[in-house]
Amino acid sequence: MQEAPRAFVLNSEATKPHMNDAPSNSDLGDSTSSLTDEQLMVAFSRGSTDAFSTLFQRYKQPLFGFFRRRLTDPSQAEELTQETFLAVLRASSRYQACALFRTYLYAIGFKILRAHRRKATFRAMFHTNQPPGLELSIENTIHSEVLLRESVGKLDSIDREILMLREFEQLSYAEIAELCSLPLNTVRSRLFRARSALHDLLTAPVSKTHTTDLAESEGRI
Amino acid sequence: MNLTTHPVAPEEIMAWLDGELPNAEARTVATHVDDCAECANFVNQFRSTTQTLSSWTVPPVPSTLEDAVNDRAVNSAAKRKPSRPISYTSFSLWNWKIWAVAGGGAIAGILAPIVTEVSLSYHSVHEVAKPSMLMVRPETASDSPSTEPFFENRRADNLKSDRYVGAVAGISGANSQASPPPHPPVPATRSGGGGGGGYTPAVSAPAPMIARTASLTILVKDIATARSSLDAIVAQNRGYSAEITVDLSDSAPPRGIVASLRVPAPDLPTALADLRALGRIQREKQTGEEVTQQHTDLIARLQNSRETEQRLRDILAQRTGKIEDILQVEEEIARVRGEIESMEADQKALEHRVDFATVDLELVEDYKAPFNSPTQSAFTRMHNAFVAGFHHATDTVLGIVLFFEEFGPVILIWLVILGLPSFFIWRRYRKARSQL
Repeated sequence: MQEAPRAFVLNSEATKPHMNDAPSNSDLGDSTSSLTDEQLMVAFSRGSTDAFSTLFQRYKQPLFGFFRRRLTDPSQAEELTQETFLAVLRASSRYQACALFRTYLYAIGFKILRAHRRKATFRAMFHTNQPPGLELSIENTIHSEVLLRESVGKLDSIDREILMLREFEQLSYAEIAELCSLPLNTVRSRLFRARSALHDLLTAPVSKTHTTDLAESEGRI
Repeated sequence: MNLTTHPVAPEEIMAWLDGELPNAEARTVATHVDDCAECANFVNQFRSTTQTLSSWTVPPVPSTLEDAVNDRAVNSAAKRKPSRPISYTSFSLWNWKIWAVAGGGAIAGILAPIVTEVSLSYHSVHEVAKPSMLMVRPETASDSPSTEPFFENRRADNLKSDRYVGAVAGISGANSQASPPPHPPVPATRSGGGGGGGYTPAVSAPAPMIARTASLTILVKDIATARSSLDAIVAQNRGYSAEITVDLSDSAPPRGIVASLRVPAPDLPTALADLRALGRIQREKQTGEEVTQQHTDLIARLQNSRETEQRLRDILAQRTGKIEDILQVEEEIARVRGEIESMEADQKALEHRVDFATVDLELVEDYKAPFNSPTQSAFTRMHNAFVAGFHHATDTVLGIVLFFEEFGPVILIWLVILGLPSFFIWRRYRKARSQL
């Protein structure tokens, strides 16, 4: 592969371990901070708690962002983030470094997210009221960001998922294809379509947007 | 954009921006983008979209999450036991191991009841056989000294009579006259009466009279050999064939013999053992019907009728009444006499059922197709196959039409009953999904 022109794309949160509340690697032992994700996971599977702490510091913000951008309720995003890390904990003794830890982690997160959506859909069949936390989420959001969410929410569901996995989680085409169980070329085509559609939506003349429309669009995301 | 004016597709430009192209292709795309204003505009378009997306920020992770996960990590590390490593792909529902285990479990679940049933039926056959033998053996062993004369007399009478010999189809009981059975089957409570059929109840407690029936299906290698062996077995056990049907035609395999045998009740176990040696047993069943009560009732009614007949004869001997009265007494004597004879016949038949067990035997030859069987010509076979295929096709179509004619209304009703709620549930599900 080429040396990727990273400046063109978003900086991955996964490649930015120093997020706002993330402690520096110097807080952890030097022995773990220099290791790769896979080496850390193998070390944790052999009993090193420091290795897991390092992994957690690296991925807590990206994984929380993964759920937060896809769910309306922040508490649910926190809950699913915790659930994903607990799943990693439970399966750590069986971990085998045959794939990137990042892919492994997002695969678990993706499955948990889909299970959550299934349950939410089932519950929504019997409860017609809006899920809690939606209004709060919108109140704390600036106008341009709301418009962005609205535009992303208008995309086709699979296209939107591929776009978000690429732009925010910085997964490669191959990793996205594996996660979504799609052919590689399909991923590329859908990503192109999603980006083009999003560009059209963002550059289109903006009409007066009602709060309800924004809420619906955020709900779809 | 087309490939004539632009040697790279927009998707390739996007892949180049994402760093997903090999080096050679990436250089080609970079060179083209530098020279092509339209493609450069395209690159700017992607950049602006990406920059816009970067404004979607996420608040920092709550501190409670970190505390909860770290606590669990410490606990998990303390309790962890090393186990076989597997990859995360084992989470997939399409893992072949999961399906193999599930399939094996399903097959075991299906086979378990079948195996259990076969095992139970096998044991039930043998359990039926054991009690029937146990019912006879002690009785015959303990009662043999007292019943031996009676049985010998009865057997001699029976085997010499034309009635028994006339029923034999091919196998006579002549040999049995020379050697009486070693174990008399008839209980000691029966005693001989007048006219060769009368019995009086014994003082001791009556032993049960059991009419036994056995049913066997045996697979034999050669039906002709089995036929001769069957004759020998019946003769050795002093029995006879009440009915026998032999099918030796080659046109409709498998060939076989269906026979209804009568063997002395004490010799039934020996006869069955000999019959089992003819081949492989496919089915075996033994039953025992107790007829003691029936026999006792018959004896009592017979005795009463004889006493009535005797009193009527005494009245007739006095001859003191009118002619009409005498005729009436004679008619009554004739009627009672008829009843007595009928009951005596029933008594003999009942005792015969007890003395001689019934063996319903079916011998089936293990069919082997001969090498030199006449074959039809290819044309004839093709013609026959075509006709058979046509018939099968028409039968299938007719069957489908008949099925829908017969069950169509019911299916329609169930579709309406189940379809409408399903439709509304599905519509509500889609609505709920679109709201999430």
